[in-house]
Amino acid sequence: MSTYDVELTDIVKEFESGGAIVRAVDHVSVQIADGEFFALLGPSGCGKTTTLRLIAGFEQPTAGHILIRGRAMEGIPAYHRPVNTVFQDYALFPHLTVAQNIMFGLQMEGVNKKDARKRAEEALEMVRLPGVGKRKPHQLSGGQQQRVALARALVKQPAVLLLDEPLGALDLKLRKNMQYELKALQRDVGITFIYVTHDQEEAITMADRIAVMNEGKMLQVGRPEEIYERPGRRFVADFIGETNFIPATLLGRDAGGQGRVQLPTGDVITALLSDALEAASGAVTLALRPERIGISAQLGSDDAEDSDITILDAILVDSQYIGTDTRYTLRIAEDTDLVARVQNVDGGDKAALETGQAVKISWRLSSTTVLDH
Amino acid sequence: MTSWLARKRESGLLLAIPTIAWLLILFVLPLVIVLIVSFMSRGRGGVAIMPFTIEHYQRTFGIFSIILWRSIGLAALTTVVCLVIGYPLAFFISTRRNRLFQQVTLFLVILPFWTNFLIRTYAWRILLGDEGTINGFLTSLGLIEEPMKMLNTQFAVVVGLVYGFLPFMVLPIYASVERFNFRYVDAAQDLGANDLRTFLRVVLPLTLPGVLAGCALVFIPSVGAFVTPDLLGGTKGLMIGNLINNQFGGSGNMPLGSALSIVMMALVMLSLVVYLLANRRDRGS
Repeated sequence: MSTYDVELTDIVKEFESGGAIVRAVDHVSVQIADGEFFALLGPSGCGKTTTLRLIAGFEQPTAGHILIRGRAMEGIPAYHRPVNTVFQDYALFPHLTVAQNIMFGLQMEGVNKKDARKRAEEALEMVRLPGVGKRKPHQLSGGQQQRVALARALVKQPAVLLLDEPLGALDLKLRKNMQYELKALQRDVGITFIYVTHDQEEAITMADRIAVMNEGKMLQVGRPEEIYERPGRRFVADFIGETNFIPATLLGRDAGGQGRVQLPTGDVITALLSDALEAASGAVTLALRPERIGISAQLGSDDAEDSDITILDAILVDSQYIGTDTRYTLRIAEDTDLVARVQNVDGGDKAALETGQAVKISWRLSSTTVLDH
Repeated sequence: MTSWLARKRESGLLLAIPTIAWLLILFVLPLVIVLIVSFMSRGRGGVAIMPFTIEHYQRTFGIFSIILWRSIGLAALTTVVCLVIGYPLAFFISTRRNRLFQQVTLFLVILPFWTNFLIRTYAWRILLGDEGTINGFLTSLGLIEEPMKMLNTQFAVVVGLVYGFLPFMVLPIYASVERFNFRYVDAAQDLGANDLRTFLRVVLPLTLPGVLAGCALVFIPSVGAFVTPDLLGGTKGLMIGNLINNQFGGSGNMPLGSALSIVMMALVMLSLVVYLLANRRDRGS
């Protein structure tokens, strides 16, 4: 018996498309623990939905193995797998009522009509939609249909619930509410959720762990803060939130995962090296989050003392007020601009900074990540 | 605004006049005449004369009821066979990924329409005859010694009708399956339904409008068919259409023919009502 709920080992999935072979999933291996909220995150066409469909059994892998609760899934059709899916477009049966939709899966298990009806009502209460059982799906709003789809899948009490962009069709406000509700629901029922999304914010706020995918490959798997703070690759840093990428040259590796890099300004600074960094020296990229860059007209005296802090000269090229924050574009060298984001705490004390002004910018060692070029 | 709308409404009525006139003169009026004639007596040469009588209806439901029932039976059998052949065919065509293949196969389904129906039906005589292609082939193989009696049987009529009306079954089902969202199949399987149950509980109900339309389009012309039974059925395959046809010839009986026509029309109306009710039940509530 495996300790994992879902294990993918070296999964490859190839499709034929117009005579060419397209590899949708490229050697993906991952273990998902029991009760985990696991997000598959990536742009459209990255293979996240295909991965989900492989687990559900709608597609068969070209190579590799899938275990669910320690049981090999080879040759086991979708209707015999202990997983259920919430589809992107919900796929509620239009010819059945809401209650009949939810009872469908139970009746397939051989649950008698009376018990199925009772459990369907309970499921509707769980998703906070009591009393709509007699209606047809098209009579419900998008958000309500989403809840029905959830109830229909959860009523089967699957080992794993697969969700394919379940909130994708909802408007922003509703989506936010549903994020919290889904997370709370997952905690209550304790079922493993595998959640496909292209929305990085959704993944970060809901998931216990995130797998970032691109071009069929799983680039990085980790907790949201790991993914955000310690991206292993440029794609990951770029996809999750906003990042400055500064071209740099790695001069040498030091102890403690640090290294010395030379910036385009000529300054040599110390920065944290990504675990995934392959280069021993030469051209690399320094990734730096905009909100981690401090900016001031003159240097604070304490800062200069702290060896963990890098301080550079810059010219303020542009500033843009965006409500909660102000975005500054800062030129540190010819062809090298950085974006810094500073929260607007009290009515525009940063307004003192003028375009074209020389400023000091600073960041902490812990905010830096050196990635392969 | 109001006057513009009012004028719009009037002009709409004006535009409908040719259609209404067409329907009144060429559809309603003849129908009324047929209805009246069906209650009149037979005169010399089969024409209708006074007085009024219900004799022809008595005969229709009396000695001719066997042909009436045969017509319904053969049409129903034709519909069932068309459905059994047509559904998988339509399903196969509409689920092909290759768009060109789809179009070519659909084209092949419609292709027979390009040849005259009479000629195509004659071709079946050659195929099914005692010395026809099929019997000749089987005899030369030594599989049979005596030719099988196929032509001038009810079997031949059903073969001819199925052949003639199969496209009317395939096309509406094709359209239905084409509209069907296969995500529902995923959903059904995900919820534990095997292939058979997925088909019965999800695919069939959701493509039922096409099935019903196809059944109506096959059943209705089959009931009234007269070319096919005339050429392929002989006396054993005689259908109500032939009977009506005979009443309007030299020594015919126009009032009887009219009565038979009215009964056949009632039959068709009845099957249409059944179709509409089934369709409504499917869509409604």
